[in-house]
Amino acid sequence: MATKRSTWEKLTWTWRPASSREAGDSIVRNFLLHWFPAKVTHRSLSWSYSFWLGTISAVLFLILTITGVILMFLYVPSVERAYLSVKDLEYTVSYGWFLRGLHRIAAHLMVAVVFLHMVRVFLTGAYKNGTAVHQNRPLNWIVGVILLLATLLLSFTGYLLPWDQLAYWAITVGTNIASAAPIVGEKIRFLLLGGTTIEQNALIRFYVLHCFFLPTLVLVLFSYHMWRIRKDGGLACVDHLALTQRLEKRPPAKSKTYSLLGIASGATVHVETALVDEDEHTVQASPHLTRRLAAVMLGTFAVSALLTILFRAPLEEPANPSETPNPAKAPWYFLWLQELVADTTIHIGGWTLNGALVGGILIPAVLLIWLAAWPYLDKTPLQTVGVWWPRERRRQNVVFLIIVLAVVTLTIIGTFMRGPFWDFYWPWESWPELPRRF
Amino acid sequence: MKNEKPSPEATPALSQSEAGEEWKSSEMKTSRRSFLVRLGIGATLAAIAGQIYAFIRSLVPNVLYEEPRRFKVGPPDQFSEGVQFLEDKRVFIFRQGNTFYAISAICTHLGCTVKLQRLNRPKMVKIGNRQFQESVEFHCPCHGSKYYGDGTNYAGPAPRPLAYYKLEIAPDDGQLIVDMSQEVGHDFRLTV
Repeated sequence: MATKRSTWEKLTWTWRPASSREAGDSIVRNFLLHWFPAKVTHRSLSWSYSFWLGTISAVLFLILTITGVILMFLYVPSVERAYLSVKDLEYTVSYGWFLRGLHRIAAHLMVAVVFLHMVRVFLTGAYKNGTAVHQNRPLNWIVGVILLLATLLLSFTGYLLPWDQLAYWAITVGTNIASAAPIVGEKIRFLLLGGTTIEQNALIRFYVLHCFFLPTLVLVLFSYHMWRIRKDGGLACVDHLALTQRLEKRPPAKSKTYSLLGIASGATVHVETALVDEDEHTVQASPHLTRRLAAVMLGTFAVSALLTILFRAPLEEPANPSETPNPAKAPWYFLWLQELVADTTIHIGGWTLNGALVGGILIPAVLLIWLAAWPYLDKTPLQTVGVWWPRERRRQNVVFLIIVLAVVTLTIIGTFMRGPFWDFYWPWESWPELPRRF
Repeated sequence: MKNEKPSPEATPALSQSEAGEEWKSSEMKTSRRSFLVRLGIGATLAAIAGQIYAFIRSLVPNVLYEEPRRFKVGPPDQFSEGVQFLEDKRVFIFRQGNTFYAISAICTHLGCTVKLQRLNRPKMVKIGNRQFQESVEFHCPCHGSKYYGDGTNYAGPAPRPLAYYKLEIAPDDGQLIVDMSQEVGHDFRLTV
């Protein structure tokens, strides 16, 4: 009876701790909560500092894992059966449409939320180290950039699986961009597809990448991401709090020390250190953090479920290699790349630089390298860590926002303003009628 | 065993200090233990590398069960004058009298299938100092690349003209053979 009770206690905790000891115990002794700190600052908990975007993306990953595992029971990754099994999901399996729709919506949301999370971290300078020892926030930023890439790849590999026209042509365009890379491009495409065309080999490869390889990568990196945040002393706004506190120059507090420095009562040696753990700055993680966490989980799930009901997942005709839909579009989060790929073919004299190389590989590579290297190039003062719109980081924030806006604008143009033959149409203009087949 | 381990009596000439020297110098080279440790680590790494190579190599297919790149498309007189699109092969077959040529339908930008646009009235096209009349063009639906009737790219992101494939006549039954594995020049014509 005693062991059963303690196991139960390891998984549950009290929502109404009677004392701070009980509150601390629920974090320290609980298996599910042991990775949280016992106390959290007000700013870390606030909605307006972080918008809880990292947490939301983790919750979306949880939703995707659960729905994804169930979908694995119902989907057959073969060229003959894939489309039919998705069609069955959509029209025959009880709540199959909801499962598939929720998986799809959560995936789209995760791409968007992870991107916004990155924007938030950049704008608040949260990739910068504060003053605490053994911090390595720049490394965690790089892990975050890899997580964003993994999220995009997860979504991209999942895109092929329904094996409809939308899937087939989006993957055709996507994998041909890979083959535009110099020297290794063709080989990468061959290895990715397991051949020269998108057939059974490609489908099973994308399936395994989507269901095992990439989720495992995300899980491992996410765990490290969380562990690093704890090692770095929580959110960057805590660093900012510690720095501003030290600037306040508090008077030495009278207290007893038990160190060798002095047996008698007097000023402690710790007067200059930040006291972010003081009660005026912090609350107990249980129940304040756990309560907000529950609210975020519930909210994320509710919004995803609602969007699933409002926007049904599309299923076009079965994949047909001989008929390219007009226009053929990549997934929306790659449409800024498709727009670049369509606009960046350069003719210099006699020779031509393929837009697939410039827009599909060079520009994204430069952006990625710049993102990864920026924490090491940013020399703005310490006080800009963990604050919105600091004056000293204004210029880089503006440049970053311009790039973000450019990506968003190109995405919007690609999504809503490109018609047949990739011609430009305003959203209110109607597209010309074209014969569907030759 | 006895011979390998010389007893102190067997080597009375070797003094204490000399024995020490010998021990030091052998340690400075490699002791048997550290050699075996290195051998063990090396063998483990080699084994792991071999395994990884095998795993990755197994994912590079040796046999492709894809459609053959060289195939028969029927007797030449079955094709009517002008252009015909072989949808599942993604190739256009052109016939002008008794000459034939084949243009690929795969866009040179990112591999979408280009669409055949029939022009309302024939258009004169001038490329360099070459001039010809065309009645069809190729437009790509993915990124808006455009090609003249002879496959030369003139608008959009396409970096190269459409490929021409080699045509042959099968010696056994006289059918037209398209060989997509062999690209040929734009002046290639098969006369039947």
